[in-house]
Amino acid sequence: MIKEFAKHLFPRVVLRENLRFSYTFCLGGLAFTAFFALIVSGVLLLFYYQPTPDRAFDSILFLESTVVGGKYLRALHRLASHGFLCLMFLHILRVVLTGAFRPPRELTWVVGVGLLGLSVFEAYTGYLLPMDQLAFWATRTGMELLATFPGGGWLRAVLVPDGVGESLSLLRFYALHVVIVPLGIMGLSFLHFYRVRKTKGLLPYL
Amino acid sequence: MREPMHCGEPERDLRRGPRGGGEYVRSSPYFFRPVKRAFAAGLLLLALLALVVPAPLLAPANPAAPPNPAKSAWFLLWTQEVVSHGNGFAWGIVALSLWFLLMPWLGRHRPERAVWFGEGNRASSWLTLGAFAVIVALTVLAMVFRGENWSLVWPF
Repeated sequence: MIKEFAKHLFPRVVLRENLRFSYTFCLGGLAFTAFFALIVSGVLLLFYYQPTPDRAFDSILFLESTVVGGKYLRALHRLASHGFLCLMFLHILRVVLTGAFRPPRELTWVVGVGLLGLSVFEAYTGYLLPMDQLAFWATRTGMELLATFPGGGWLRAVLVPDGVGESLSLLRFYALHVVIVPLGIMGLSFLHFYRVRKTKGLLPYL
Repeated sequence: MREPMHCGEPERDLRRGPRGGGEYVRSSPYFFRPVKRAFAAGLLLLALLALVVPAPLLAPANPAAPPNPAKSAWFLLWTQEVVSHGNGFAWGIVALSLWFLLMPWLGRHRPERAVWFGEGNRASSWLTLGAFAVIVALTVLAMVFRGENWSLVWPF
């Protein structure tokens, strides 16, 4: 059933010449692969991470020093996150340079830009969770950056009502990072794949 | 293995294609095979790289001990670099984001087929490449060449 569903997300037929690796470099597919790795490694991290200011850092220490493969699991999650963002940027670049964003694919493009925005936000919300010096100050700087943008002050008040790294803020970042934003990325990804099928193929025009 | 499939109707379109040929094949297995290979190769590469690139963990968060300079996450460093010259520059980033979002509706170009640096898409291509180059350059600048009090330093 899952296999049949996956098949229906993609076009039934494709041009053979569009299957050349150098045509798309599989960048979108590779980005989704990294997202898949993020989900798997992230779910495993959930078994150890404790989203409270006084326990978060210790739970990471426990994971890295006591749990078999814990250090590797965290490295994989971090690396997949970097890979995901880089591949998303490169995929967007490829789409622009090949003109694949032009009508009738404008909705696919808008969904893709939304995916990029959510992906950056997902990475940002994950940055704070280890609660080490790097996490804390990078997140705090990010919040100061946000406040310089129109409407940023309001958004900052929503995200960090009690200050960066305090209990309510950490809980909000955690909920956004592990549930809300990933669900958004998943939903937009399927909509993106559906639009690719709807507009017939990998690139204009099948 | 299934035989390649030819669809009758698109023949007219294919003659107009820049590369000709135009043989249609079923997605299963011809399209899904490279997708599966890319998926496996991507996972394998990440799994191997994670063996040699550990995730850093510094001292516990201490609001009383700010680093100098305090830098944002690497993917936001370029925005930090931009607004470090004045908060008003944030509007430039907003304008750039809007331009990207609305790009399909800017210009009248309707490509027959997607091709790298296709005719009619050159302005968008070069503008985007330029924006990406600036973003990467600002990221490297902020990551490597920014020292105490956000001053420019030579790290080597």
